[in-house]
Amino acid sequence: MRLLTDPFQAGFMQRALIEAVLLGVVGGVVGVHVVLRRLAFMADALTHTVFPGMAVAFLLSGSLYVGALVTGVASAVLLTLLTRNRRVTSDAALAVLLTGFFSVGVILISRSHTYTADLTVLLFGRVLAVDLAEIVATAATGAVVLAVLWLLHKELVLRSFDPDAAAALGYPIGTLDLVLNILITLVVVSAVKAVGSVLVIALLITPAATARLLVRRHVGLMMAVAAAVGAIGGWLGLVISYEGSLQHGWRLASGATIVLTLTAMFLVVLAASAVARRRHRPDEATDESTTDHPLLDPHEPLIDDAMAIGSRP
Amino acid sequence: MADHPTTSEGTALLLDQVTVDYGRVNALTDITGSVAPGQSVALIGPNGSGKSTLLKAILGLVPLRSGRIEVLGRAPADARADVAYVPQQESLDPEFPVSVHQVVLMGRYRNVGWVRRPGRADRAAAHAALERVGLDQRSTDRFGTLSGGQRQRVLIARAIAQEARLLLLDEPFNGVDSTTQDLLLGVLAELRGTGVAVVMSTHDLAVAHVACDDACVLNRHQVAFGPVGRSLTPDHLRQAYGPNALALVGDGAIVAHDH
Repeated sequence: MRLLTDPFQAGFMQRALIEAVLLGVVGGVVGVHVVLRRLAFMADALTHTVFPGMAVAFLLSGSLYVGALVTGVASAVLLTLLTRNRRVTSDAALAVLLTGFFSVGVILISRSHTYTADLTVLLFGRVLAVDLAEIVATAATGAVVLAVLWLLHKELVLRSFDPDAAAALGYPIGTLDLVLNILITLVVVSAVKAVGSVLVIALLITPAATARLLVRRHVGLMMAVAAAVGAIGGWLGLVISYEGSLQHGWRLASGATIVLTLTAMFLVVLAASAVARRRHRPDEATDESTTDHPLLDPHEPLIDDAMAIGSRP
Repeated sequence: MADHPTTSEGTALLLDQVTVDYGRVNALTDITGSVAPGQSVALIGPNGSGKSTLLKAILGLVPLRSGRIEVLGRAPADARADVAYVPQQESLDPEFPVSVHQVVLMGRYRNVGWVRRPGRADRAAAHAALERVGLDQRSTDRFGTLSGGQRQRVLIARAIAQEARLLLLDEPFNGVDSTTQDLLLGVLAELRGTGVAVVMSTHDLAVAHVACDDACVLNRHQVAFGPVGRSLTPDHLRQAYGPNALALVGDGAIVAHDH
């Protein structure tokens, strides 16, 4: 088992490990909400809209973190408003927004002399180059995100599960959505330096999707499992990329290897749960068809207005 | 049907010429009627007739263009703690990782307040509510593993746990077999015996006859509001559903088809 600890003798590998595990844990926990609310596409849009802010910060040699944070929060507000208005199909709205933002970022960064190298860092990250200040920023952001999720746990779960009843109880749905979107943004921003804006979505979705296969009855437990999967994936991914590059000369990019490790974990669990399910209950397929909210249909949507009203003072 | 102390005027719900705009269209015009504690009213009308809009208005989630709604003697937004909205069980994701007990516990959340977690008393209330709908032994199962009728009972248990004085049910008997329907009707009758008022939207006129004292027949405007015997007449129903939308079945029960 020394294989699992040996790579982490060098300082840069230790920093990478801490960063990867932190991101795995926080991404896993937030990701549970993303998966349960089916916000994967919206989270993906967020990762793209963060991009121009990073590009600007990069060109001004300012802090990537602050640049990404500012555009990220701005786009979280924008996305929350856009997805609230059901007259625009939110899929289309998101696609328009994310490609637009992304292009702004590409145009900005293409003005730099070291275009290709810069773009590579922003797109794919550089977990091995993470410094102490970045780890501190990730840890602080993660602590804030986990604290808010802990405090609003029952409200956010109720809103995910039964938005109509939450609105009827007087919960401000629009505000809860905004808070969640900002939390997602914070995680995206803190992860972008390590894994890049293209792969960051995997840290949010894959551990949570894996946990969903394993946990059937408890959101809190699902979060714990997702955090564990994220952390283990970060650790194993670093080991694999280190050993592969050093011992076998494969030159495995560390961020992408972490993501691939998470993907492999997901696929293994998926296969195992498919086998287990076939063995235990061969007939529950019919149960999974109705997951939409008829009340949210275009004829008489309850939640639209609930959100509009809920957010008024 | 004893008066409940929170209803100063002895009215659970008062609708006074309620008119709601939805976008540019008149979603509802001039709905007028009242529901006493322990009484039950069916909202009857085709899809898009404004039943959901009326439920939203009673919850204070849509502004009125004109008219007045009073819930338990208060403005709708101030009465939400005492009003339970019971959605169609089909609108909930059966794969959501939540147990039956947790769903019922959600009825306590407003009592518990922001940030704080439900305590022992809340858990006891949830168990008691589950017992009343006969599902206490399923409390640790995932909500989605229950049958449609059982899920509907769990949602009513959530309303019981909330100790609501007014229940708003959206198509409570959709996708529910007749045995479960009887069980649900029994639970609702029991609740009404303790002074809880019930408003339910439904397509099933037979159920309206059995389960409700009054009916409000509507199609964007009010066709009739009153005792089921007088409001659910073929004439009124034709006005709401159109001339070809009625069928006679069995022993004279009328079912409204919605095409």
